[in-house]
Amino acid sequence: MAHRDWLGLKAELPERLRLILTALSFVVPLAVWCAVSYLPFFWHPLTRISDAGSVEYFVEGMEVPNAEFARQLQTTIAGDGDPPKGERVNPVYLPPPHDVLRAFFTAFTTPPRLPNEPWLHESLGHSIRTIFLGFLISSMIGVPLGILCGTYRLFSRLQEPFIEFFRYLPAPAFGALCVAILGIDDGPKIAIIVIGTFFQQVLVIANTVRKVDPALVEAAQTLGARGLRLVRRVVIPASITDIYTDMRILLGWAWIFLIDAEVVGNVCGVTFFIIQQARYRNFDNVYAAIMMIGIIGLTTDMALAWLGRVLFPWKRKRRAKKQAALAVAAKQEGEESKPMEVAPSPILENFGRLEPPVARDAGANPLQS
Amino acid sequence: MIASLELPDYHKQDPQVAQRFKRIRDRPVVLSVQDLQKAFGPEEHQHIVFDNVSLDIHRREFVCIIGPSGCGKSTFIRIVAGLDEATGGKMLLDDKPVSGPGPDRGMVFQGYTLFPWRTVKENVMFGLEMQGKSSADAEGTAREWLDMVGLSRFEESYPHELSGGMKQRVAIARALANEPRILIMDEPFGALDALTRAKMQAYLLQIWKKVDITILFITHDLDEAVYLSDRILVLGVNPGGIREFIENPVPRPRTPEQFLTPEFLALKHRLDELIHTPTEGAEEDRLPVIKMTMVGDEVE
Repeated sequence: MAHRDWLGLKAELPERLRLILTALSFVVPLAVWCAVSYLPFFWHPLTRISDAGSVEYFVEGMEVPNAEFARQLQTTIAGDGDPPKGERVNPVYLPPPHDVLRAFFTAFTTPPRLPNEPWLHESLGHSIRTIFLGFLISSMIGVPLGILCGTYRLFSRLQEPFIEFFRYLPAPAFGALCVAILGIDDGPKIAIIVIGTFFQQVLVIANTVRKVDPALVEAAQTLGARGLRLVRRVVIPASITDIYTDMRILLGWAWIFLIDAEVVGNVCGVTFFIIQQARYRNFDNVYAAIMMIGIIGLTTDMALAWLGRVLFPWKRKRRAKKQAALAVAAKQEGEESKPMEVAPSPILENFGRLEPPVARDAGANPLQS
Repeated sequence: MIASLELPDYHKQDPQVAQRFKRIRDRPVVLSVQDLQKAFGPEEHQHIVFDNVSLDIHRREFVCIIGPSGCGKSTFIRIVAGLDEATGGKMLLDDKPVSGPGPDRGMVFQGYTLFPWRTVKENVMFGLEMQGKSSADAEGTAREWLDMVGLSRFEESYPHELSGGMKQRVAIARALANEPRILIMDEPFGALDALTRAKMQAYLLQIWKKVDITILFITHDLDEAVYLSDRILVLGVNPGGIREFIENPVPRPRTPEQFLTPEFLALKHRLDELIHTPTEGAEEDRLPVIKMTMVGDEVE
């Protein structure tokens, strides 16, 4: 195999290597976790007592620091007592992978301890609803406002300085205020997501819209587009793919505010589940719930990326198709030894004398090079 | 080298060519520019880009504009297109004053400026839609124009799937579909490689021959200017304005073989004189010598 400079700046990686690296990015952290969990000589700072021996205060199932266990072991051996037995374990807040993996299923099938507490799927559903509503409300105002600010200096000056200030105010700080105004149920939680998302959204989208190539706008103007139609038919389509990408990133930010939002007022949603399970010391469930948030976020984003490719066909990287198109063009131009013949048409008005077609560069084909 | 050749006077026209120019002058004036001035900055210390630019362009005339960088040829053309505002003078299109951009003055830019979210056909349909044509009508017209620039097969392609020359052909079709009175082209072939450019020049002459269109064409390529134009407007700097408005004596129909005819060379030589300021050579000599390596041969 030829030597490849894998560290070359911005160099493309071979397809196989890319897949391997993607897999590794997940496998390596998982391997570290497995090593810490399953290899007793890695960390394992506690000893779980399986047989108390003659140590008075040891109880079966109790977890003591390794040093304490070793001390008691020596004391009993020296004093002719019954040596205690135990195995080295990790603290309860670091469950091994297989427990967490099992919790992915058992967390859904375990009924809540109290009759009025939600099941896990209900908690997750609640959280998704909160995010969705918050993001929707924010976007309904934020996206049009952002486009307006990005298009017209007037609105930009009128809105952006204040928004720039407001976005530094941390959304969770509004928690108490939101509860006072909106009660203790879903209202304040959605409000915090809106506060956390909206101000960033306006600024980010305004910036994206400002980056629209002015030459496109000028071209449209020379074609007769003006006013609102210019915005609707040129500015928005020209920036829509970037706005869509912004929205994907912003949705990720909305998830960050979720946990902050859900502890406000009545704790609810997945945050409630996590807090409750931590209280029962079911840390495998806690990890499973946290990872589920990640999985939901990543899946949503991948689905949106796919949807984007469907919605915006001109953004698809169809290199193969482009090559095919150019090949057709090359062939077409190669075949025609004479230059383009202008088709007779009523819109074409013959004016003055007609000259014979000019033969030029018939053999040479610029598209082949 | 050219100067040492025996070149005819660039004003000298064949009787046939002279006849042709007489016919052109008899045609109605499409674009009339009177005392156009463009200046930047506050009134006390204004920078005047150009001043006293007056000219008449007749129907179906092909006018090229050349000039050294900074002479404001792009600014001039943008004012004609309505994308910039003049600080003085007026501009008449078909004897009616115009201001602001409009579909009566089509423009083709160096950077193609096709709408990437629209297919080739939809790009050509854009102007027609803006004029309120039904989409069936617009589609029919767009097809005819794409047929004319030889891109019917690509009507469903997106611009990023096309080569540079093809993109520029779409841009020309898009501008012409609006049936503008004048087509303004700002270095349209500047970004193309030499072979494609030669091909596009031939295409453009073909299109111009078949369509009732007046063309205003910026270029910095002297060959291109002489090859395409009826008249060449030479702009200057310090003072900014018209240096000369030359009637091109090279007879039509144009062929690439004419690149070496005496009229062609004489005109090109004159253009070369006009746009190169005499101080340029001296500036080159004033460059500091940074590093000298002794080699067997002196570099000239």
